[in-house]
Amino acid sequence: MPVFNVCLKIFRKNWLSVSIYVVIFLAIAILISATSVSDQPTTFAQKKARIAFIAEEQTPLVKGFRKELSRSTMIVALPDQSEKLQDALYFRQVTYILRIPKGFTENVLSGGNMRLEKTVVPNSIENTYVDLNVDQYWNLARLYATHEPGISQDGLVSRLKANLSGTTPVFMKTENAAKTSDSFSMFYFNFLAYTLSAVLIMGISTAMMVFRRRDLRMRHYCSPLKPTNITMQLLAANLLFAGASWAVLVGFCFLLDPKSIATINMLYFLINSLLFTGCIASLSYLISTVLKSLNAVSAVCNLITLGTCFISGVFVPQEFLNSTVLKIASFTPTYWYVQANTKIAKLTHFSWDHLAPSLYSMLIMLAFTGAFIAVALVIGRRQQATN
Amino acid sequence: MFMHIFFYRFKCLIRDKQLVFWTLLFPILLGTFFYMAFSNLNDEASFHPIHAAVVPSGNSHYDAPFVDVLRSVSKGKNRLFMMKTAASQAEADRWLKAGKIDGYFSSGETIQLTVNESGLNQSIMKSFVDQYRTSSAAAAQIAKDNPNALQNGLLQDLSDHRSYVKEVSGGGAEPNNVLNYFYTLIAMACLYGSFWGAKEVMDIQADQTERAARVNTAPIHKLKMFIAGSLAALIILFAEILILLAYLRFGLKIDFGPRTGLVVLTALLGSILGISFGAFISAVVKAGEGLKIACLIFVTMAGSFLSGMMYQNMKYIVSQYVPLLSWLNPVNLLTDAFYALYYYDNLYRFALNAGMMCLFIIVFCAGTYLIIRRRRYARL
Repeated sequence: MPVFNVCLKIFRKNWLSVSIYVVIFLAIAILISATSVSDQPTTFAQKKARIAFIAEEQTPLVKGFRKELSRSTMIVALPDQSEKLQDALYFRQVTYILRIPKGFTENVLSGGNMRLEKTVVPNSIENTYVDLNVDQYWNLARLYATHEPGISQDGLVSRLKANLSGTTPVFMKTENAAKTSDSFSMFYFNFLAYTLSAVLIMGISTAMMVFRRRDLRMRHYCSPLKPTNITMQLLAANLLFAGASWAVLVGFCFLLDPKSIATINMLYFLINSLLFTGCIASLSYLISTVLKSLNAVSAVCNLITLGTCFISGVFVPQEFLNSTVLKIASFTPTYWYVQANTKIAKLTHFSWDHLAPSLYSMLIMLAFTGAFIAVALVIGRRQQATN
Repeated sequence: MFMHIFFYRFKCLIRDKQLVFWTLLFPILLGTFFYMAFSNLNDEASFHPIHAAVVPSGNSHYDAPFVDVLRSVSKGKNRLFMMKTAASQAEADRWLKAGKIDGYFSSGETIQLTVNESGLNQSIMKSFVDQYRTSSAAAAQIAKDNPNALQNGLLQDLSDHRSYVKEVSGGGAEPNNVLNYFYTLIAMACLYGSFWGAKEVMDIQADQTERAARVNTAPIHKLKMFIAGSLAALIILFAEILILLAYLRFGLKIDFGPRTGLVVLTALLGSILGISFGAFISAVVKAGEGLKIACLIFVTMAGSFLSGMMYQNMKYIVSQYVPLLSWLNPVNLLTDAFYALYYYDNLYRFALNAGMMCLFIIVFCAGTYLIIRRRRYARL
């Protein structure tokens, strides 16, 4: 199997440019797995908005307010310097900066119109959420001050504390969620699209372009091997490379998230990613027939992988992308791969009805594979004819 | 003679299609991808009225006041909810399962909330019910302490819900954090310009390229040759960066703040920084072209990562925990200069970044000069 062996040799020579993508991918995957929350909560936990709390006065009521507010917010300690505060707001370390001006408590208790100052990320959800809680406290304080004029600040704080304690019963319907929904495995398999595309295009296109060199092809023609035999050997080498890349990258998922292995969803994740591997391998072959120079491979590889991954929801989830972008993306196999993945992740029942949408996406990916191979064969034939 | 070298060097550089691709087309395309992927991000994080439902208990003593309050916050421009009334709990459950609502309230003596995840919208719903409950508790407490309060308009005061916060702007610009991606992109493009600088140094060291060997036989001072070549590279890179800036500003409508002159100056400083950085690395790393390029790509990509190109909070994390690193990272200096021009009213932070860039440029140029000066070749 001389052709097969040479092809493997080229893969080995190229390992550096390919392994860069794998290393970066793994570094990011490990980072995500270290920070991701593995267990899904089964009871409701109130979200806490991150805020900065700057008080220019320290009255008992302000202290009580801060304590109550910390039930619905996480107060981030920041120095009262405008640059530090602005930075924190820009990078969303806080989404709400609340400043209590001097004399505010007295003013509210005597029925005045003074207000707290907030600097916020405009229109954010947290903005509405924190406003709701801030207003509630001071409206109640005003109510007490108006109707119980003699009440001391400490008395007021304890009254408010008693009123605001206790909580509304919340029921969470968790049975709707699948184990793999929004899990690490889903992110991993989505992100896999980027690495797998980069590795396969870099590896396969580079190797195939070497074999398309004119003198090498002529050498092949005068050898006693049949053309079909040569093609089969090349195909076998490429499939081996694609399969090995898939196995290695998927293997790491098992190491990083062993809990998902036992789910049926994982089986479909694997099938989906395998189909995607086949699709990108055929795309890589097509690229090698179109390109003329080896130098262009890394440019085209970067463009295709980054481009499709950005618009198909690999880096930014599809629900955050605008509909025109998604329409464009639906002309790429990556979009359908991510679609299938996201649907598989949410599956709790595996009957035909539930599986059909994911299978439909996979089918479209298969159609892409067929189309890539067909176009590559047509171009190959033409090139052969002109040579 | 200077013009002659400059002109031919310019032609020689501009014909390098691969370099033109990586320094001009690649950033433009990446910017387009960023734009397509991130344009909706801020909209997604903004508040839209929450889809909620209420299931009446059938006891109008409890239902009527609660539904009234819900109605009052479900109308107008600043409404909190898009409220629906469910005929039964089963119907509300169906809506919840289908994702039509974020949660539903079950009216009654104790109001209950049913949701299927712990999100911000659900937390707002809970806070809302908490408020309803605590307001009633406070009114009951006041009526107990001071029975006259009911005659003195306690209930009216209870429904007079005032806003106790007013918005003050932190600075001139909106904290639109998506912009940082584009700023790191320009910084990356400037640092990719280091390929041009590296090429300049390789093309005057006779032991590295054939073209350099030819050029070295000419009776011209090496420094003159180097300056002419670097100037050609700088003009090409600066033009590329300006094209990129124009595309981002006018094509993708990326906001750079009102100080256009300083933005262009930053682009120029960035271009000089890129070229001098490439020249310096190329002079320091004696091994082949591959290793030089690998070094440049590594520094640029690592620098871009630390400035928030792949994960924007990285820039903040670095500046919080390893502030020294953010001052030593050339990509971050450029990103931060654009950020400061956009976000801050005063120019102090911009001046610090620009000063630091100038310092880097001086170090790179001096280093390159000291390494490549007076190099003679006994044999090639």
